[in-house]
Amino acid sequence: MKFLNSILIVFTLIFLTFTSCKKDEEQAKPGNVTIEFDHVWGSTEGEFSLNSELTHPMLGEKMTFTTFKYYVSNVRLKAKDGSYYTMPESYFIVDADVSGSNKAVIPNVPAGEYTDVELMFGVDSTRCSSGAQTGALDPAKGLFWSWNSGYIMVKAEGKAPTAADGSFAFHLGGFKGVNKVQTTKSYNFGSTALVVDGDREAEIHMVANPARLWHGAEKLAVKSVNTMPNALAKSMSTNFYDAVRFDHIHN
Amino acid sequence: MMKRIIFLLFFTMIWSYSCQNDQDELDFGLTYPDYFPAPHYQFGKNTLTKEGFELGRSLFFDPILSLDSTISCASCHAQGHAFADHNVALSKGIYDLAGTRNSPSMFNLAWQPIFMWDGGINHIEVMPLAPITNPVEMGQDMNTAIQKLNNNPSYSNRFRKVFGEKPIESQQLFYALAQYMSMLVSADSKYDKYRQGKVELTLDEGDGLQIFRAKCASCHKEPLFTDYSLRNNGLEILNDDLGYGRITLDTTDNHKFKVPSLRNVALTYPYMHDGRFRTLDQVLDHYSNGLVYHTNIDPLLVQNNIIGIPLNNDEKQKLKAFLNTLSDYTFISNPLYSE
Repeated sequence: MKFLNSILIVFTLIFLTFTSCKKDEEQAKPGNVTIEFDHVWGSTEGEFSLNSELTHPMLGEKMTFTTFKYYVSNVRLKAKDGSYYTMPESYFIVDADVSGSNKAVIPNVPAGEYTDVELMFGVDSTRCSSGAQTGALDPAKGLFWSWNSGYIMVKAEGKAPTAADGSFAFHLGGFKGVNKVQTTKSYNFGSTALVVDGDREAEIHMVANPARLWHGAEKLAVKSVNTMPNALAKSMSTNFYDAVRFDHIHN
Repeated sequence: MMKRIIFLLFFTMIWSYSCQNDQDELDFGLTYPDYFPAPHYQFGKNTLTKEGFELGRSLFFDPILSLDSTISCASCHAQGHAFADHNVALSKGIYDLAGTRNSPSMFNLAWQPIFMWDGGINHIEVMPLAPITNPVEMGQDMNTAIQKLNNNPSYSNRFRKVFGEKPIESQQLFYALAQYMSMLVSADSKYDKYRQGKVELTLDEGDGLQIFRAKCASCHKEPLFTDYSLRNNGLEILNDDLGYGRITLDTTDNHKFKVPSLRNVALTYPYMHDGRFRTLDQVLDHYSNGLVYHTNIDPLLVQNNIIGIPLNNDEKQKLKAFLNTLSDYTFISNPLYSE
């Protein structure tokens, strides 16, 4: 009987070990993290949408966007233990004209708790000078300058009655020298960590304000077109990027 | 016994066939003389194959890449002129529209770090994006170009063979063209044969080489005959083309243009970024006594406060004799590069 008992114990132990192992595996399932960029207009954070007339709070000029898109790349998530998960090939075009493109999905993030997200606005210099790329970096996307190699990192176009020919076009880019546009930003989630665990929802909500492009720029009546890397491209993009803020996370 | 022999024969055939294939693969690649430096373009993920090269060659000669299917790369880059245009100053694109610069010759591009007269393009793979999309050249949106290729069963098939089972995208087009362009190696001129000890230069050609080395070679560096720098060579300013200054927005780069290779120079007239000089005599006269002072003029063109390169008529004749040794008739008639 004793012998039987010990056999039972051994079997139970083995069974427990196996099932608990299984449980651990389930807990360790990687999941997707979505970074959502919500677009607002001005410091009052009013509604921003294409093809509707907006008044710029600082310039006082009316403008109707027909295009608004920008690159986000090189996404990394910082875990509680200080280590990073770096998404391979992370290049996104956030395009106000393409629904869903404001959600950058990072697949297969290892399960765990994350405290920060780090990302680059624009495209790194390596990919600006490494020849033909694919995906979001495909030159057929219309965001690669043919005559002056490098990506247009922010593109804002539209109509403005005060502009010289009634329209505006800002193609902001430049990946080297003092006027390089791409910049890396890091955002801390505060007291609540982002939990990644299998199919569980994990969303990071960011707020971007295209009105900030003109935070330090002249009125459209004076300057309505800038389509090459230069100091203005640098200052407009910097003003826009600096005002992108972390809003909240969804766990 | 018979069965065994047949089997062995069969096996040997397969064996030799596969060996043959391996040999073909090995034979196909970028070859160049030992006095050339290592190529700048290393192909990277773009694996060079015979089929990829041939696909690039077909695309180079096919007007399908232009808006109205009238202009191909070869329209303005003719092999007989070392892939420069047919001796015209400014090339014509779709609808007979004219560009503002002279079509450059094309060879030894695997060694070239920057492209265009103003150096604005930083990689051989993205080079064709400019002529394909330029409204006065081929004038075609990249998406339309790719769609046209996908709709073409022959291209669809060939792209699949080279790049695998997926729809054609711009990277594949650029890869194929880069394979063709990189393989355009010009290294069989009389100068090359002289470098390889196969022929002697004539007295005039030899003297010309010495003059060249003393007075021209710091910019037109051997053996590629360019140092790929951007310089102002004292041309009279005829229009608002700022050259390199347009790229850097630095006024000290205004009116600087890329130093072109002098290989095949006798075959590629007219000369300069705008094709203003028709003959080599005009070019040599420009350097000896035609330079116009510009704040950005290259310091090498100003010696002891005198602008220009001192050259007498005798030296000019010998220089010309030497420059003619840079014509590569093997290159311009090589069937490997032809349609």
